Amino acid sequence: MTHPRWHRRHVLAATLAACGGALALPRSASAQARSHLTLAMVAEPQTLDPMASTADLVGTIMQHVYEPLYTFNGKWHIVPMLAEALPTVSADGRRYVIPLRKGVPLHSGRELQADDVVASLKRWMEMAPRGKAVAKEVEDLAADGAGKVVITLKNAYAPLLAQLALPTGMAAIMAKEAIATPLKEFIGTGPYRFKERKPDQYVLLSRFEQYSPRKEAASGYGGRREALVDELRFVPVPNANTRVEGVLAGQYHFADLLPIESLPRLEQANGRVVPIRTPSFGFPYLVFNTKEGVFASQPLRQAVEMAIGEGEMMAAGFGDTRFFSVQPNHFPEGTPFYSTAGADHYNQRNAAKAKELAEKAGYKGEPIRVLTSRQYDFHYNMALVMAEQLKRAGFKPQLEVVDWATLVQRRNDPKLWDLYVTHSGQFPEPMLSPPQLGDGAPGWWNSATKQRVLADFNREADPAKRGALWAKVQQLVYEEVPYIMVGKFSSLSARLPALEGYAPAIWPFFWNVRVKG
Amino acid sequence: MHRYLASRLLGLLAVMGIVAVFVFVLTHAAPGDPVAVLLGDQASAEDIARVRVQYGLDKPLPVQFAYWLREVLHGNLGQSIFLQRPVTQALAERAEPTALLAAMAVLIASAIGVPCGVASAVYRGRWIDQLFTGIAMLGASIPSFWLGLVLMQLFAVGLGWFPVSGYGSPEAGLGERLHALVLPAIVLGLLNSALVIRFTRAAMLEVLEEDYVRTARSKGLPERTVVLKHALRNALVPIVTVIGLTVALMIGGAVVTETVFGLPGVGSLVVNAVLRRDYPVIQGALLAVAAIYVVINLLVDLLYMAVDPRVKL
Repeated sequence: MTHPRWHRRHVLAATLAACGGALALPRSASAQARSHLTLAMVAEPQTLDPMASTADLVGTIMQHVYEPLYTFNGKWHIVPMLAEALPTVSADGRRYVIPLRKGVPLHSGRELQADDVVASLKRWMEMAPRGKAVAKEVEDLAADGAGKVVITLKNAYAPLLAQLALPTGMAAIMAKEAIATPLKEFIGTGPYRFKERKPDQYVLLSRFEQYSPRKEAASGYGGRREALVDELRFVPVPNANTRVEGVLAGQYHFADLLPIESLPRLEQANGRVVPIRTPSFGFPYLVFNTKEGVFASQPLRQAVEMAIGEGEMMAAGFGDTRFFSVQPNHFPEGTPFYSTAGADHYNQRNAAKAKELAEKAGYKGEPIRVLTSRQYDFHYNMALVMAEQLKRAGFKPQLEVVDWATLVQRRNDPKLWDLYVTHSGQFPEPMLSPPQLGDGAPGWWNSATKQRVLADFNREADPAKRGALWAKVQQLVYEEVPYIMVGKFSSLSARLPALEGYAPAIWPFFWNVRVKG
Repeated sequence: MHRYLASRLLGLLAVMGIVAVFVFVLTHAAPGDPVAVLLGDQASAEDIARVRVQYGLDKPLPVQFAYWLREVLHGNLGQSIFLQRPVTQALAERAEPTALLAAMAVLIASAIGVPCGVASAVYRGRWIDQLFTGIAMLGASIPSFWLGLVLMQLFAVGLGWFPVSGYGSPEAGLGERLHALVLPAIVLGLLNSALVIRFTRAAMLEVLEEDYVRTARSKGLPERTVVLKHALRNALVPIVTVIGLTVALMIGGAVVTETVFGLPGVGSLVVNAVLRRDYPVIQGALLAVAAIYVVINLLVDLLYMAVDPRVKL
């Protein structure tokens, strides 16, 4: 059957109009007098209580609102923040007298007093995971007048200042009247004050006009802080590709933690964005179950250490050589804990020797249960390469790929695994990570030598001497192999050229930055 | 009619009961511990045990289920472990973007799907038919994250017409929020139009073969009247069904699109909840989505009567 021509055209025209109709609106041009930064973060913060969580994101956001007594400068040395100076420590390393800065206003308008500091630290020691670890060491905490705080320890405990300085699980100083659980008000001393939160949409911080900055030049997290932008808008953008597109489109001033594969696009964007590399961002590590199963045997763990090639694993995990480094030192060069002790145990990739060691250790081909997750692609990619290296040395690895929530549950049961793959941020103090250096963490590393070497390390309060003592701990980790530090990786973020003055940091901060135009 | 409604509502309750049991059992059968995720790497075993007690996770499963069911019957879906607010509130906050997105996407899917499907049927076997059927095949096979990223690069990064992601700035009005939904709605609309095209085409082909269509043509009615009035009206039942199902699917299932475009909707709420094993949110959201699904199905059935007087319930 044939249809009259105009009918056909009519249907066709209507159809094409419907199929091709675009619903474009012009980009909204909202004029704003106040300057702001839109910062694309990896997720929605679990909480805004800086003590309740050790999550990086919580610390990254709330370090603008709350300040600690001490912090880290650009060379990872501990410097005072709300404290006036480094503490005076008694000869036995047990009594710390911390002088406070005078004339520091809280967001409520009142001046910060020593009893605010005491109340905040008490809360931190009661509820924060890091604080509770410190609480075990503390005998007494008290104000000495309005301007000093005295901490008395049961025994010398050198990581105290680092624990007080870390931005995650922060020993945040709050107004004592605002202390509650959960927190209802966020009253700190930082250059920004809390304004509003809408879950899954944004957290807004606005400039604190009365902020009293330190006089020293800015370095790392330390020194002078200045809020040069009126408002910070932290926006959760969980999809990494969306963060890439968003910063390319100019929608975000800063996009945190981008996939390394997106670097060519950022570099070829004709200067519309500036890629940011944050070196020594973190380290992947392999934890052994030293309590039960095959790896309760130290010689067998040493055989694995001999079998694996950390270089190949890092290449599989991170691809671009600009974004990882294969170094035996657990801490980067130029920082207080840099050491090459035990370097000859690193990156050996010697299958024949490993086989020999395994046989000598009595390995009979038992399956090696490797727990890993695809939540982080590099965990899985590294596990694949490691499994091949282990096979070459005669081991029988068995990958158990589960999601992260399952992994963190299973690793608590020593019957379920032999080795798991994880990673940690690179913290400026060894005792902060990995948790296996402490007691009770999965892996359950415990030996008389460990207790002795770590006790020596933790008793020495002099930062200059602690470096040499760390070398002994590192040496021991390479010998007893409770875990293997695989290498170091850098992170990729990006900013618009209009965001000026940004200094790469593990927990990115946005004081001392300005926005042009 | 009344009896039909009554029996359907009873069935609805039965379905919800079954869903409630399944949702609870499956959520808890999955390995993983919300508290270990919540407290992070530095938490001690004692901390984890203490918080588990706080959320009642230490009780035997049947007890937890009974407790949950009692709360649900009182309209309380429980307290989120991570969001520190009631699940009902979390759902209410996420409802707007999801509902608006579904509405816009269905409008787009229908506006594309129905005319293209009709044209495909009218010009069966011609190039237009092949073009539209091809497009439909393509639409059904393109992954939504890919199309989302491509449109994002084109219209948000390249041309700057739309925001890349998010649901408007903090001071956004309804206009800006709708503007933020346009790209994701186009993605969902385009992809779902494929199904609408196929169903419309099939339904129209069947109807166009009917005697009354031939009669209409032989009466000398203009082809437009024959196609749009006689044929399309009679082909509407399956089309309405597929559009209704599309709405229902999008309420709970626009997960990927919501994630790609960073929309604070129900889909992303559920995905995050699953990754963190936030049991109350998973259970509450799935229950709510199931309820919406069942209700939409009921509405679709009732709509049949409106579009086809021959249908008697």
